[in-house]
Amino acid sequence: MKAHMKSGVIVTLVLLAATLSFAADVTNETLLKAQGDSESWLMYGRNYSGWRYSELDEINTSTVKRLAPAWIFQTGVSGRFQTTPLVKDGVMYLTGHGNHAWALDLLTGRELWHYSKQPEKDVQGCCGQPNRGFGILGDTLFKVNFGGTLVALDAKTGDTLWETTVAEYKQGYSATAAPLIVKNLVLVGIAGAEFGTRDFLDAYDATTGKRVWRFWTVPGPGEPGNETWGGDSWKRGGGSTWITGTYDPDLNLIYWGTGNPGPDMNGDVRPGDNLYTCSVVALDADTGELKWHFQFTPHDVHDWDAVADPVLLDLSIKGEKRKVLMQANRNGYFYALDRASGEFLLAKAYTEITWADGIDSKGRPILIPGKDPTEEGNVACPGLGGGHNWHPTAYSPQTGLYYFDSTDGCQIYYMTTQGHIEGQWYQGSTVGRITDQPSKGSIVAVDPATGETKWRYEMVSTPSSGLLATAGGLLFGGDSQGYVTGFDARTGKVLWKFQAGGTVAAAPIAYRFRGKQYIAVAAGGTLLTFSLPDRD
Amino acid sequence: MVRLLVILLLAAPVCGAQQARTNPFHGSAEHIDAGRATFRIYCSPCHGIRAEGGNGPDLTRGVYEAGDSDANLFDVISNGVPGSAMSAFGGRMNENSIWRIVAYLRSVTQNEPPVVAGDAARGRRIYEGKGGCSGCHRIAGKGGRLGPDLSRAGRTLSLARLRESVIAPNESIASGFDTVTVMTTAGGTIQGRQINIDNFSAQLMDSQEQIHSYLREEVRSIESAPRSLMPSYADALSAPELDDLLAYLVSLRGN
Repeated sequence: MKAHMKSGVIVTLVLLAATLSFAADVTNETLLKAQGDSESWLMYGRNYSGWRYSELDEINTSTVKRLAPAWIFQTGVSGRFQTTPLVKDGVMYLTGHGNHAWALDLLTGRELWHYSKQPEKDVQGCCGQPNRGFGILGDTLFKVNFGGTLVALDAKTGDTLWETTVAEYKQGYSATAAPLIVKNLVLVGIAGAEFGTRDFLDAYDATTGKRVWRFWTVPGPGEPGNETWGGDSWKRGGGSTWITGTYDPDLNLIYWGTGNPGPDMNGDVRPGDNLYTCSVVALDADTGELKWHFQFTPHDVHDWDAVADPVLLDLSIKGEKRKVLMQANRNGYFYALDRASGEFLLAKAYTEITWADGIDSKGRPILIPGKDPTEEGNVACPGLGGGHNWHPTAYSPQTGLYYFDSTDGCQIYYMTTQGHIEGQWYQGSTVGRITDQPSKGSIVAVDPATGETKWRYEMVSTPSSGLLATAGGLLFGGDSQGYVTGFDARTGKVLWKFQAGGTVAAAPIAYRFRGKQYIAVAAGGTLLTFSLPDRD
Repeated sequence: MVRLLVILLLAAPVCGAQQARTNPFHGSAEHIDAGRATFRIYCSPCHGIRAEGGNGPDLTRGVYEAGDSDANLFDVISNGVPGSAMSAFGGRMNENSIWRIVAYLRSVTQNEPPVVAGDAARGRRIYEGKGGCSGCHRIAGKGGRLGPDLSRAGRTLSLARLRESVIAPNESIASGFDTVTVMTTAGGTIQGRQINIDNFSAQLMDSQEQIHSYLREEVRSIESAPRSLMPSYADALSAPELDDLLAYLVSLRGN
């Protein structure tokens, strides 16, 4: 009997060890090495540089034609997925529209748990109630809820560990971005510029949920930059931080894009450059102190947020080795900056532009007069959504190309004088379609060292999804008509497509499970995974 | 007695709710301005920048299908209109925002019916005869399917929009009525009303109401243009005939 018990203890210990090994916690070291972990997808942009590049190559330019659905998970929740799923230890974690989230078994796609919280009845937002994903540290998942809270969930059960208020939704704030985990901090962006909010980027202690620092993207009185706001317009200055940023551990700097000033299209009430809106800011990761900023569109009146992925890479520009931050900005220009200093390196138009006649040597646009919105309407290109908007981008070290989508065309911009009422729309007007111009878009491959467009895949409608580059020489994306598409990353040629039955508004990811490569992407309210079928 | 008490208790809150369903912002310049700004953002894509109609109804006439009270307008904006392109905005804006839009709409209501010089009865004869309109358009389940259903044209489109649609149909294409042109590998051309178009295929309805589907890889080209298949009637009808036709179209209320 004793011997049996002893052997039972040994068996139990062995089983425990196997389980613990299978479900290892995510550490800072794990996150720093996220790029090399083929069996996981641990953060929004795959690595801290925001590449969205998978080193897996089983699915490649030769085999992709055989790619087929492996399993499909239907959420039963309406609203378009915009999430980047996380994958760790045989489980996929994804967030959905309207404060839903799920953990799925990677083997079968079966649901392990479902988190949901009814959004506040009177919460507002500019563009639905999307959510763009989790952050993970230890065995805790972090996500924002739409009404402006940050919630920590037990990765094993989906149980809420803590929930803290980031901002008051009644003032017009909302939250949609995937948190970024840096050290023991959870970095959380906020939205609200369309409602006259003054926005910020927050860092919270991952263990306690207590706020560690806040960086106001619109500086207050006495702070540098406040002089770029006429009167008290800074109080309603916007500058949302609604897309996840990136991190350089060597420089200990966080890079985050900021959105438009408020009100969007009426610049008369906020004379000045309106810092730090439509900018990228470099912040000390530990303190949130501003190290440098670069403003792409001073005194923006076209809603050209600068929230697009600030992607980090090292490369030679004009013969000089540089630590680069690049961004395909919504204003129609691709930019490269020195990410240590914020120095402007280059800018190149990637779509039709009528508002500026180039970018000067300091990085400031050379404005063409008469392109601002008016009461009766005034045409400018690109349209309100860009250019490239928020959709996740991809950089392939294999091809050396940077991939992003672009809406190509113009719109009529209207301006309205509008008083501010707390919590109410404060956009200062709208845009209209030019009736004889169909909406269209493209996927663009750019050489980041020069800004030159290497190839362009033209689409019949405005783009909707994010992108993924892989070592298989492929680029994956999707469109608003429901196609998930695989391109040759070097040429832009379509090599594979699948009709998913719903708009692809999320970015694909790749991971390896039981020795096989998978591609996963959300379309409509459904999560689809693809793999190469076993040969007979 | 118990039943009567229950009925009274049930009735009380209903009466209270109805009393509360008046627009708290009616006539307030500040809130009308806020409503106008919100209208421009949410509503102008369908109803036009000045609420005078587009693909959606002209809202300045003060006559609405779902009822004409402020509460009716509030409900339509909140809940949408099932079976139509009008979606529910209740989840996208709060009640105060909706009331402000109602206040704005009241401020632009003209209350005057559109003045049409023509005769509706003569216009109907033109519609069914000389104009050949019924070959492509449908009214109350009768007519063609190539063009938009006109059963409620008098409610959903302003007089100006109707006139423009007849004499300059390419100026503003109803949603879903762009023209698709397919060039086949054999050199043939098929043209029709766009049902779907994407990066890989197109589905269209031709003038015989046949539905076609093409893969781009199997044809020479597929092109879509914001152009109407409808010819202009600027020269085909005299000015009085045009007025008669417009009078008939304005009379179409979906009854």
